[in-house]
Amino acid sequence: MKPRSLLSQSPTTSLKLTTGCETLDACLHGGFPCDSLTENVAESGCGKKQLCLQLSLCAQLPISNGGLDGSALYLHSEFPFPFRRLHQLSRSFHLSNPSIYADHNDNPCDHVFIQNVHNVDHLFDVMSKIESFVKNSKTRLPLKLIVLDSVAALFRSEFENTPSDLRKRASCFFKISGKLKQLANKFGLAVVITNQVTDFVESSDGLSGLRIGNLRCLYSSGRRVVPALGLAWANCVNSRVFISRSDDSICQERREDDERSGSSYVSRRARRRFDIVFSPYLPASSCEFVITGEGICGRDAEKMDSTFLESGMVVREHQIDTRSLDKIAST
Amino acid sequence: MVTWTGLEHFRVGRFNPPPPAIEADDFVYDLRPRWPRGEERGKSPAIEESFHSRRTFMETWRLPLSSSIRGKLISAGYTSLSSISSVSSTDLARETDVKITESEAFEILKMANQVTGSSSCNGRSSSLVNGARNAWDMLHEEEALPRITTSCSDLDKILGGGISCRDVTEIGGVPGIGKTQIGIQLSVNVQIPREFGGLGGKAIYIDTEGSFMVERALQIAEACVEDMEEYTGYMHKHFKASQVQMKPRDILENIFYFRVCSYTEQIALVNHLDKFISENKDVKVVIVDSITFHFRQDFDDLAQRTRVLSEMALKFMKLAKKFSLAVVLLNQVTTKYTEGSFQLALALGDSWSHSCTNRVILYWNGDERYAYIDKSPSLPSASASYTVTGRGLRNSSSSSKRVKMM
Repeated sequence: MKPRSLLSQSPTTSLKLTTGCETLDACLHGGFPCDSLTENVAESGCGKKQLCLQLSLCAQLPISNGGLDGSALYLHSEFPFPFRRLHQLSRSFHLSNPSIYADHNDNPCDHVFIQNVHNVDHLFDVMSKIESFVKNSKTRLPLKLIVLDSVAALFRSEFENTPSDLRKRASCFFKISGKLKQLANKFGLAVVITNQVTDFVESSDGLSGLRIGNLRCLYSSGRRVVPALGLAWANCVNSRVFISRSDDSICQERREDDERSGSSYVSRRARRRFDIVFSPYLPASSCEFVITGEGICGRDAEKMDSTFLESGMVVREHQIDTRSLDKIAST
Repeated sequence: MVTWTGLEHFRVGRFNPPPPAIEADDFVYDLRPRWPRGEERGKSPAIEESFHSRRTFMETWRLPLSSSIRGKLISAGYTSLSSISSVSSTDLARETDVKITESEAFEILKMANQVTGSSSCNGRSSSLVNGARNAWDMLHEEEALPRITTSCSDLDKILGGGISCRDVTEIGGVPGIGKTQIGIQLSVNVQIPREFGGLGGKAIYIDTEGSFMVERALQIAEACVEDMEEYTGYMHKHFKASQVQMKPRDILENIFYFRVCSYTEQIALVNHLDKFISENKDVKVVIVDSITFHFRQDFDDLAQRTRVLSEMALKFMKLAKKFSLAVVLLNQVTTKYTEGSFQLALALGDSWSHSCTNRVILYWNGDERYAYIDKSPSLPSASASYTVTGRGLRNSSSSSKRVKMM
């Protein structure tokens, strides 16, 4: 048994996967770290899937651009998988990074491997095959990112609320987490897991309101929420990141003077926030972002104007979620 | 039956000797700066002085030599063992007022080395059982042991100066409270050189969860070196000799980092530690982050888990005693169903809670992080607040809320 030299990496930082958005990267000091499990907690409709899809594409960027020069494995447990959104994002990704695909004549979607997972046993089954997949796959880019979306949906149906079932559930958490960390360590993968939230209900023992991390209470859409799966799961992940949405929206009035129409229009985007709940190396920080046709981008006044013009997308609805985006994408 | 009376004290030499005419070579002036450590437990100055003198002045006349030789040595002025050990046998023989032959001188030096070689107190064996020591000697040793500072003086104060060596300390708390941060801070602080009040040792960091980030350790190491340089500026204005030699990269090199991915690896590593530490004698702290992660998976037989854990705990205790190092185990928190409701408790169960000597629990109180001494054989229950900053663990800024004694 030999100790690992800490100075073997140079520079002495672990490899990070960029999120594709500068503001989020600044918050994360570079992006999601490799050899580590990061949990993404959000209410449905906040942008978890968008972030995961964007990460699967950014993993294919070369290391000098913040990517991992690798492919992504997307394990999803919620149906349906947003194929159309993935195609839309991959088209704009291909346009902005043609050099990666020019020599081999493929497109970004070729490097995102999608596997659906029905329940916990199926997940264990799939995880046991991942190692042989990584070693034997003849794909051009090696596997560098695993996204598990979402872990809470796997545990929905099978476990009751009795102490013994809860114990069994907790041991499943540690098994999943242990196996994923082992894979992450062996192959240098980044692992991103999404989790859902449940409403906060004040209980007599006060444990549901237990403070974990930098934020005293987590608020989303105006109500207090708590990450699903409880304290046991919180012990299994290395970092936790919270995405929330608030009811008020960012209004922007734009006046477009071009030949087509000299009209002005108002766009509304829900205000979304990205918080670091706990992490072994990040200070508590938060930032705001919006979701555009191109994906997630930080809420920076000047930047938003330019991307707004480029994407050419007008969002009239108050809420943004994958269903509506798919609809828009298909039109 | 040995009756412990005042006579025994006298026979073995437990009384203040008359001060020597000349000062011994090894008398230590305690000029080390009090660098951010909490005050050690208050000791009355008289006792402090007599302990100190006992440590440094060891009587020549207690050496197992013939009385004539002893008399010659003492009359020549060699009253303490340290003064003998600093001289070579030829010089001793050549001394005109000490009429001893060279072979006698050699014997004297060998005897002196034997007695000083084993630590200060083992030379006097007035015990009946081989290897047993009396409580007086043990108190000596315990007072003499250095402690590892946590860089937060409030926390050091409630810990009696810092994390004690030769003990197993368990630190537990909810995720995000700063357990890994304490682990990294201790692995950096153990390397503070002796001139600055530290141990000047190396650290073993066993990472079971993958929470150790090199850039964070580098950040804390840089802050530590900066603090040391600042203190050098204050304390040794006219004394340029001790510049800070350590660089942050050296600090990282002195942390032996092991990553374990399953409980079998963890057990194998713990078994291997004895050999590893024998080869790297300057390891002074072993940090395990966290001890529970691999043991919360499917263990079909809980009794087996308890057995394995208690074996591991025993190994850690033996390591701590044998090599005089500190063992710090970081633990997670779980909910336990007791008395009809769920309560927070440290993981791994009741039988594990007996395995550690000291236990510290970290918790949130409002917006502040607090540490609470839950179990300790010698420290009173107290809690203190701390913060985790970019430079590592530090005192929290609210100075009004100091140490709370319970």
